[in-house]
Amino acid sequence: MRALLRSSAAMGLVAVLALSGCGFSGEGESPQAADLDQRIVVDNFRAPVADWALESDAAYILSLSGCLETLTRYDEAAGKIVPSLATGWEQVSDLEWDFTLRDGVKFQDGTALTADTVVNSLRTVLEAEVPARAFNPTVVSGVEAIDERTVRITTPTESPLVPYRLASVNTGVLAPAAFEGETVDPFGHCTGPFTPVSEKPKQSLTLDRNEDYWGGQVQLAGAEVRFITDGATRATQVQTGEADVSLSIPVSSLSALEADENVKVLKADSPRTATLYMNNGKAPFDDVEFRQALRAALDLNTLAGSVYEGAALPASGPFAPSEPWAIEGAQTPQQDVEAARQLLAAAGYTAGRPLEIIAIVERAEFADVATVIQENLKAVDVPVKIRTAEYAAVEPDLLSGDYDMVLSQRNRLIDIADPIGFLTADYTCDGGYNLSHFCDEDYDKLIAQAARTADTQERYRLYAEAGKILQDQAVNIWLVNEQAIDAVRANLGSHVQDPLARYVLRAETTKSGS
Amino acid sequence: MMLFLARRTATLGVSVLLASFLVFLIPYVTPGDPARKIIRSRVSGEVVDEATVQALTLQLGIGDPLWTQYLRWLGRFGSGDMGLSYTSRTPVVEQVLPALWITLSMVVATLGAAALVSVLLGTAAALQEGRLADKAITTVTQAFIAIPEYWLAPVLVLIFALKLSVLPSAGWAGPASAVLPVTVLALRPISHFTSAVREGVLDALSAEHVVAARSRGLGRRKTVLKHVLPNGLLPLTTLAAVWFAGLLGGSVIVEVIFAIPGMGRLLYDAVLNSDIPLAQGGVVVVVGLAVVLTTAADLVHRLLNPRMRAHHA
Repeated sequence: MRALLRSSAAMGLVAVLALSGCGFSGEGESPQAADLDQRIVVDNFRAPVADWALESDAAYILSLSGCLETLTRYDEAAGKIVPSLATGWEQVSDLEWDFTLRDGVKFQDGTALTADTVVNSLRTVLEAEVPARAFNPTVVSGVEAIDERTVRITTPTESPLVPYRLASVNTGVLAPAAFEGETVDPFGHCTGPFTPVSEKPKQSLTLDRNEDYWGGQVQLAGAEVRFITDGATRATQVQTGEADVSLSIPVSSLSALEADENVKVLKADSPRTATLYMNNGKAPFDDVEFRQALRAALDLNTLAGSVYEGAALPASGPFAPSEPWAIEGAQTPQQDVEAARQLLAAAGYTAGRPLEIIAIVERAEFADVATVIQENLKAVDVPVKIRTAEYAAVEPDLLSGDYDMVLSQRNRLIDIADPIGFLTADYTCDGGYNLSHFCDEDYDKLIAQAARTADTQERYRLYAEAGKILQDQAVNIWLVNEQAIDAVRANLGSHVQDPLARYVLRAETTKSGS
Repeated sequence: MMLFLARRTATLGVSVLLASFLVFLIPYVTPGDPARKIIRSRVSGEVVDEATVQALTLQLGIGDPLWTQYLRWLGRFGSGDMGLSYTSRTPVVEQVLPALWITLSMVVATLGAAALVSVLLGTAAALQEGRLADKAITTVTQAFIAIPEYWLAPVLVLIFALKLSVLPSAGWAGPASAVLPVTVLALRPISHFTSAVREGVLDALSAEHVVAARSRGLGRRKTVLKHVLPNGLLPLTTLAAVWFAGLLGGSVIVEVIFAIPGMGRLLYDAVLNSDIPLAQGGVVVVVGLAVVLTTAADLVHRLLNPRMRAHHA
């Protein structure tokens, strides 16, 4: 079905990102109270690796810095995709979407935003040697200017998710001058509220207010985004006041920050669930009752409270309960040793060789998680041994199905703010990242149907239905839903936490002078 | 002397070749596909498109036989080209030089501070040999060896940045930001330097010319300054050169904790991301500098040491 999708396109999207509890917005502060001379410091957890190439993760830094803007964007408060550099969009044929550009927008170098400039920027991303997850030739076949204000996106197959792709930070738009050199130059070539003015490589990016921002008066004079990989250092800097915002706070620093009255700790469900992947293609995991038995044997509440020190919540399935596609009525599975024993008996399981859990070393806590699971399974006479390994070392075995269990976590929204990519890659029979080696015809039909469904609510219902299949068949054991934890100084105003750290510096961000 | 220099030049060449080859091998002897690691360093996430892996492998030539790849790099390096970083696609030299400058600044400050403290402590300990001051200095400085950087750094940050608010907790922006990392890095050199200075001063104190000077009525202070210290500090030159070389690429922990974009972090990230040209370029620079510095230190040692001068003559 062709759908006319204007700015009300994706209702209910990612409600988890939009919860008012995600952050604090400085309610009560009047705009008049803002001190327009203030600058702030943001501690980010990564530095740009691939220079400023838009297809790389560097785009996240330009986006959170308030430099890079996209045609559409996520409105966390409304929980939906809203206009940004495009004021509207429309599916004009099975494979074509037209985006109408906002009038009067200029890049920071004074160049006008036109369809040609947008096409030039998007094609650079599309033609990158390591393409972006959200915008690459497998999902987008062409970009062209229809007229001065209209950009047409063509897809190889019908997709209702094109507006979502155009909200990915990798599709941010830069002026043509940004692409004239051998590497991308974002300095003065964005459209956002802040203009990057200088960079200390691998250290920081300094930005000044964009005086001609199309979105209105920018409240801060400028900002510095620092690249600090050590979590404890980020936590210290927000306590000392050296930073006003510190992203991704480690659990070990939480108590100190929560006790500091000058700091506010912000928590939100992240789209990441720590998961015990089971190789459904290999005995004894090919028996659904065996998998259900393992699930019944685990104490997820204790796991969340001990290893994660309460910074993660016990999972109720493949989705976090606050996500709009969550399975209705899903509850955290409770430990039931007796039920586990009965299921093991029904599966005909007798303890033999120890089953192996691979704990990926890149996530330090997984070694402890594996130990807790080992103890839980010991109680139902399922012997388990633990192996720690680098992800890269075990990836070939995981993909080829030569393993028992592995602890891992995935970001469900890593490409776009819709879980279709995750549900397809991880659980369909032909999925490119189907570590579970799970294959179910009904599930595949649901996902294929969802991929064609333009109606957002209906698509979410299909996701939930697919998720229920995964949960009923205990394809994996979803352990805990992780939380995004940021910390900000108490005198920061109008700040809204984004669990995916795409938007931090905004035109309305303020800092009081005290 | 010429023979010495020729030998050291040969050592430099062999060391650089050996180090660059060993670094080159790292991505291939450690588990995982180098192309996938490179892709993940640019676009994070678990799912990697197989077609992209194939294309990148072909484009970078990382599927070619190892010796072909190494000789290709060697040919470029011989003509002064360190190549492009696999991950950032920018010239390696543009990443190595800023990181090297930062690390050099940090290492010079560290060794300068360590030498100053050690000369004072080591000389004092030697002049007070066997007494309480000697024992206290020796015990405390030896204890420095046992203090791990990953423990000391947060403790100093807690005290001086968080509690006292007198120093920045991280970053590399001016002398104040250098105080804590330099302090952390200086402790171990202080321990070794102090011990070396103490031994050197003790040796010098018992030398015939010093005893003769004292017997001729030269004051203790003048004897120490004129005859003892110049000889007593000789071991420091070689030791400092060795530490210099070690700190050039070996201060990763301090660089991570204090968010300093120096050579240690550059090399660590390069190896982690299978960025072979960047790792090779960085290691070649570090090893080259290390060999040059130790050679220079040996030369200085020979020039200052009367016995070695006599031996050469």
